[in-house]
Amino acid sequence: MDANNTFDSDLIHAIFKHIWARRFRERERSDAIDATEAEVALGTTKKNRLASANANALKLSCELLKSFVSEAVQRAAIIAEAEGMEKIEATHLERILPQLLLDF
Amino acid sequence: MGSRVPIETIEEDGEFDWEAAVKEIDLACLKTTNASSSSSSHFTPLANPPITANLTKPPAKRQSTLDKFIGRTEHKPENHQVVSECGVNDNDNSPLVGIDPEAAKTWIYPGFVPLRDYQFAITKTALFSNTLVALPTGLGKTLIAAVVMYNYFRWFPQGKIVFAAPSRPLVMQQIEACHNIVGIPQEWTIDLTGQTCPSKRAFLWKSKRVFFVTPQVLEKDIQSGTCLTNYLVCLVIDEAHRALGNYSYCVVVRELMAVPIQLRILALTATPGSKTQAIQGIIDNLQISTLEYRNESDHDVCPYVHDRKLEVIEVPLGQDADDVSKRLFHVIRPYAVRLKNFGVNLNRDIQTLSPHEVLMARDKFRQAPLPGLPHVNHGDVESCFAALITLYHIRKLLSSHGIRPAYEMLEEKLKEGPFARLMSKNEDIRMTKLLMQQRLSHGAPSPKLSKMLEILVDHFKVKDPKTSRVIIFSNFRGSVRDIMNALSNIGDMVKATEFIGQSSGKTLKGQSQKIQQAVLEKFRAGGFNVIVATSIGEEGLDIMEVDLVICFDANVSPLRMIQRMGRTGRKNNGRVVVLACEGSEKNSYMRKQASGRAIKKHMRNGGTNSFNFHPSPRMIPHVYKPEVQHVEFSIKQFVPRGKKLQEEYATETPAFQKKLTPAETHMLAKYYNNPDEEKLRVSLIAFPHFQTLPSKVHKVMHSRQTGMLIDAMQHLQEPTFSEQSKSFFTEFRAPLGEREELDTGLRVTNDPKDLHSVRDLEVNTSQRKAKQVESPTSTLETTEKDYEESSPTHRYLFSSECASVDTLGNVFVMPVPLLFFPNVLESDNTPLPKTEKQHSCRNTSHIDLVPVDTSEKHRQDNISCKLKERFSPDGASETLETHSLVKRNSTRVGEDDVANSVGEIVLSSDEDDCEGLELSPRLTNFIKSGIVPESPVYDQGEANREEDLEFPQLSSPMRFSNELAGESSFPERKVQHKCNDYNIVSTTTELRTPQKEVGLANGTECLAVSPIPEDWRTPLANLTNTNSSARKDWRVSSGEKLETLRQPRKLKRLRRLGDCSSAVKENYPGITEADHIRSRSRGKKHIRVKWKSAESWFTLSSVAFALVTKKKKMIMDDDVQVFIDEEAEVSSGAEMSADENEDVTGDSFEDSFIDDGTMPTANTQAESGKVDMMAVYRYIQPKISFFYCEVNELIKNHKVSFHRRSLLSQSPLPARFRDLAASSLSPYSAGPLTRINESRSDSDKSLSSLRTPKTTNSESNQDAMMIGNLSVVQISSDSRKRKFSLCNSANAPVINLESKFAAHAQATEKESHEGVRSNAGALEYNDDDDDAFFATLDFDAMEAQATLLLSKQRSEAKEKEDATVIPNPGMQRSDGMEKDAPSFDLGLW
Repeated sequence: MDANNTFDSDLIHAIFKHIWARRFRERERSDAIDATEAEVALGTTKKNRLASANANALKLSCELLKSFVSEAVQRAAIIAEAEGMEKIEATHLERILPQLLLDF
Repeated sequence: MGSRVPIETIEEDGEFDWEAAVKEIDLACLKTTNASSSSSSHFTPLANPPITANLTKPPAKRQSTLDKFIGRTEHKPENHQVVSECGVNDNDNSPLVGIDPEAAKTWIYPGFVPLRDYQFAITKTALFSNTLVALPTGLGKTLIAAVVMYNYFRWFPQGKIVFAAPSRPLVMQQIEACHNIVGIPQEWTIDLTGQTCPSKRAFLWKSKRVFFVTPQVLEKDIQSGTCLTNYLVCLVIDEAHRALGNYSYCVVVRELMAVPIQLRILALTATPGSKTQAIQGIIDNLQISTLEYRNESDHDVCPYVHDRKLEVIEVPLGQDADDVSKRLFHVIRPYAVRLKNFGVNLNRDIQTLSPHEVLMARDKFRQAPLPGLPHVNHGDVESCFAALITLYHIRKLLSSHGIRPAYEMLEEKLKEGPFARLMSKNEDIRMTKLLMQQRLSHGAPSPKLSKMLEILVDHFKVKDPKTSRVIIFSNFRGSVRDIMNALSNIGDMVKATEFIGQSSGKTLKGQSQKIQQAVLEKFRAGGFNVIVATSIGEEGLDIMEVDLVICFDANVSPLRMIQRMGRTGRKNNGRVVVLACEGSEKNSYMRKQASGRAIKKHMRNGGTNSFNFHPSPRMIPHVYKPEVQHVEFSIKQFVPRGKKLQEEYATETPAFQKKLTPAETHMLAKYYNNPDEEKLRVSLIAFPHFQTLPSKVHKVMHSRQTGMLIDAMQHLQEPTFSEQSKSFFTEFRAPLGEREELDTGLRVTNDPKDLHSVRDLEVNTSQRKAKQVESPTSTLETTEKDYEESSPTHRYLFSSECASVDTLGNVFVMPVPLLFFPNVLESDNTPLPKTEKQHSCRNTSHIDLVPVDTSEKHRQDNISCKLKERFSPDGASETLETHSLVKRNSTRVGEDDVANSVGEIVLSSDEDDCEGLELSPRLTNFIKSGIVPESPVYDQGEANREEDLEFPQLSSPMRFSNELAGESSFPERKVQHKCNDYNIVSTTTELRTPQKEVGLANGTECLAVSPIPEDWRTPLANLTNTNSSARKDWRVSSGEKLETLRQPRKLKRLRRLGDCSSAVKENYPGITEADHIRSRSRGKKHIRVKWKSAESWFTLSSVAFALVTKKKKMIMDDDVQVFIDEEAEVSSGAEMSADENEDVTGDSFEDSFIDDGTMPTANTQAESGKVDMMAVYRYIQPKISFFYCEVNELIKNHKVSFHRRSLLSQSPLPARFRDLAASSLSPYSAGPLTRINESRSDSDKSLSSLRTPKTTNSESNQDAMMIGNLSVVQISSDSRKRKFSLCNSANAPVINLESKFAAHAQATEKESHEGVRSNAGALEYNDDDDDAFFATLDFDAMEAQATLLLSKQRSEAKEKEDATVIPNPGMQRSDGMEKDAPSFDLGLW
């Protein structure tokens, strides 16, 4: 796909990082809990590093996300159109969502 | 050297007399200026207090030692020497760090902590000289460090202060401790450890001022230059006793001194060392100029030292261990004796030798081998030493830790290595091992362990187990485990955990620092009250105050013993218990304690007598005479860094929210930020009905998982329907079973069986069907009756079915049934057998249409303009949900099959009964029974009914095609949804072709008698032909198995068709008349009705047709409409569009075919059903027109149009065909993926068929046309087959198709001939024909052909097609199509 027609990879990266950071914090928290309960037990040395993505992976992710979003919108639009609506509502999305999720 | 005296004096003074000191300094400086010119500059600052340290620092540096002489002027000469030594660098340094003159006037001492004299004194010293502070643990070293740091922090606003501690936990601990003491603002402090990445560290080095680091990090950053060494003003070194050798501390200080820079070094330790050399080493390494040593007995310290009882408990070795020890001694003695014989002087009783002593002896031996000893014997001596060392070590373990560790050690040693070789033959060692094993198996507790437990229990009896804490130190992890095991048995009040290092050994896994922290945390919180620690617990880590320290082994250095003892007695009285085994361990312990005491004496009085010190800068110019100021800090709560970060994250508002409009934010909040989870979460289960059909896709096709979901949902949905619906479902299932059976080949020949199975599935109609099957001809009437009877129920079913079918869209379901009922009734009412037949055909067609049922909904919606609307809706539905259609088709395929089989039966019966059958009931029955999904078809049927027989006929082919398609598509569907879609498309195309044929037939019929009935019959014949071709195609497409299975059905169908045709033909005279009448009556109405729709469509589509031909056209249109309806139902949208295109272009055949091919794409693309309808009309019209033209040359317009079309088609076809063929090749392989390709292939096929027609046309237009149509149909079917084959596995099907085509053509020819020839006994003939068809169809040959390559197949297929085309004309002719055509024409006109 052309570069103009896809998501901004910086944006996607920012979103990813946001998610990763949140995950990381959650994991740390649970780790802290685990650790206090670890007592005598085994030292699990988890890598506490933020995940990262290289440029190509990011590009691919953008493309995937774009196709996912556009497909979702298009399908929902078909439903909405069939109902004579001019606006895609959440319910339209819900209708196509299960299959959409399975398609990806 | 020179500083000794001053230090002493200072200590004696205790308090500085600042006034005097400054005066003295000034004097001293004056003198020094006289002595050394370089110092002259120092005093200018005095007059003008300098703001920067540039000028002031040199004096400070000089006074590095001068500060010691504060108040001691008499030492100035010495100082001068020092100054001159140090002064060399004075001007070389251009310190970047300015001093804050205001701050420099005072130095801050925290006022809120109770003042301890020794702390205050040491701090004051440490502020102005490099100091090594040796304080017992728990006496507040950190406070000294913090105060010094804070004052430097104040004095040098740009200065950077570093606190180094040897481990990360210590760093974290000290940063907090320092914060809590002096409250250096946290924004200026940072901890730098190996976890911080270097680039970040570089940034932090610039932005922060107070660093808590590990020495390794500091070393690396200094070496890499990221640490701004020029700004350093103060370096605090914790646990300074580590500063030996090449430890990072030493490297750091060396680097800093080499820069050179001036900074204050403060070293802290509780245990500077056990030997004077070690202490001197530290002093040298850290450039220490002052040693501040205190111990518990010092007068200024002792008030703050809590009572710490040190008990040394002598533990007997224990009987078991004693035995083992004696055994071991037996082993040892020979070696010791041998050594002695060699002349080695083991200077003690071998009973009490320690491994260390043996080691020393060995070293001595190595350095100075015994003079009289031959060199050869050196090896023996060495091996004896090695054995002795090991043995003594084991013995030591035995005495201090018990049998188990000793045993483990021994076992390990015996496994490999020189010791094992040496001892392998030794009986004593074996016995010893055995004995140890025995003792262990008896669980012999070590006396130490039991003593320890005793102490513990006593301790917890006195102290509350919840508040009291105990640490047990052991040197070996093995004994830690033993202790843990022992502790686990003594009850609840002891909650013990181990606390060990990170390294993971062979048997024991280490604890990560995180776990260590967690253990300490829990220990503090009370989760544990006993920690069993190795040496890791001795030092540094802020293990909370404990009441009792148990040293499990006494055999440790006094340094470590001090650290161990430092764990208690800090804030409360503590108790230290040393468990020493009597004998060697006790002795060595006592020895070490003695040596420790000796060291203390050296350090007494500042160690000035024992150690050499180094000069150090004062840092603060003497002009400033900082006065102590006791300040109460208001310290903010210390926020650990990690938490701080988390809070930042938590409070951070997402940046994107700023860019959103309030409405968007609200929307977002609705779905994401809702506190109660319940609100507005996108649901996956909200619309289960929508999951029973594939949703229309945009670009991303459905996955296999989606197909599974849909299937599952369909199965789940079925039970919820009414019983009728259940019957539907069963029907649905039945087809599957049938298919399976077909696959197995069980039913290949026997259609009835299939029917039976289907019937079985169909609750109501199963019996009837069975009857029909059994005696189709004889029981036709009865069956019809049954059908009639059942019809009402069927109607219900229809309604329910409609609903069920509509699962996709609930709305659609309801209206259809209503419409159907009247229609059904009408059809039922039709007295004429022909009509019945037609009805049956209709029904079948309806059934076939069923897959299109989605369109039915649309139809219902469109009820007002029934046909058109229906068509359009169908198209729309198709377009909207090709997937759904596909699914429906798939689901219905089974149904269709059933219906087909039923239809076949019916057809056969109809054919048999052609004369006066009650097909309508049957049809209804069929519909009811297996064709439930067909209910929508009923609507069509109603419309069709109005339109009359044409529909049924059309529908019958439709059915066939549908069935075929369904069958063919079935496996494909299973395999791949995409394939299924394609197949469906192909089926639709196929259906279209049949429809076309039907339409042609209809047209001919119409032309013949009363347009409709005659047409019907003729269509039937055509249908038969088409059906045969279609069947063949189907068979081919479906694959060998499917083909075989289907073939019977197809044959039946063919038979039926043929029968019908033959019957029609036979009946023609009479029947045709009746039909004509009927058709006229009904046909008029229907036609009219249809006409309206047709007209509308025509208006849309038929621009070319002239007004004159309107009536004909109308008729044609009706037929066409019927066909169209069927077609539309089957593959409404795509075909429609294609048809339209064709019509517009005038390349009707080609276009139509192409359109058929493109149908799928059209379906997906074409959203407007109306357009599709139009297309269908056009489609049909051209077909019809073709027929008419061919058959009815009378209709010039038609002919013209046909000719035009044919011409167009002919001319364009080749090129297209070629193009298509070229393009199709690749598409075929990729066929499933690209519908367009398929369409192309279809179109190609159609083109090929068209070509054949063209040729035939040239020969004989009508015949050619018919043939062409048929061939087209076949071709289309072939194309379908090809598609199928492509989808499935390709080549074979095509070949089969070809062969089948040929066979079919032949068979059809034969049949037609037969039928024509023998009017009576048409049924039998038909049956025979069927058999003949079967016979003609060489499955084996088919298969063999299938094995051929695609290219071959294609070429062959072309040839075959041509061949088939050729025979077809004959067939058609024989069938009397031509004959019919004229008659039709006559009738029409």
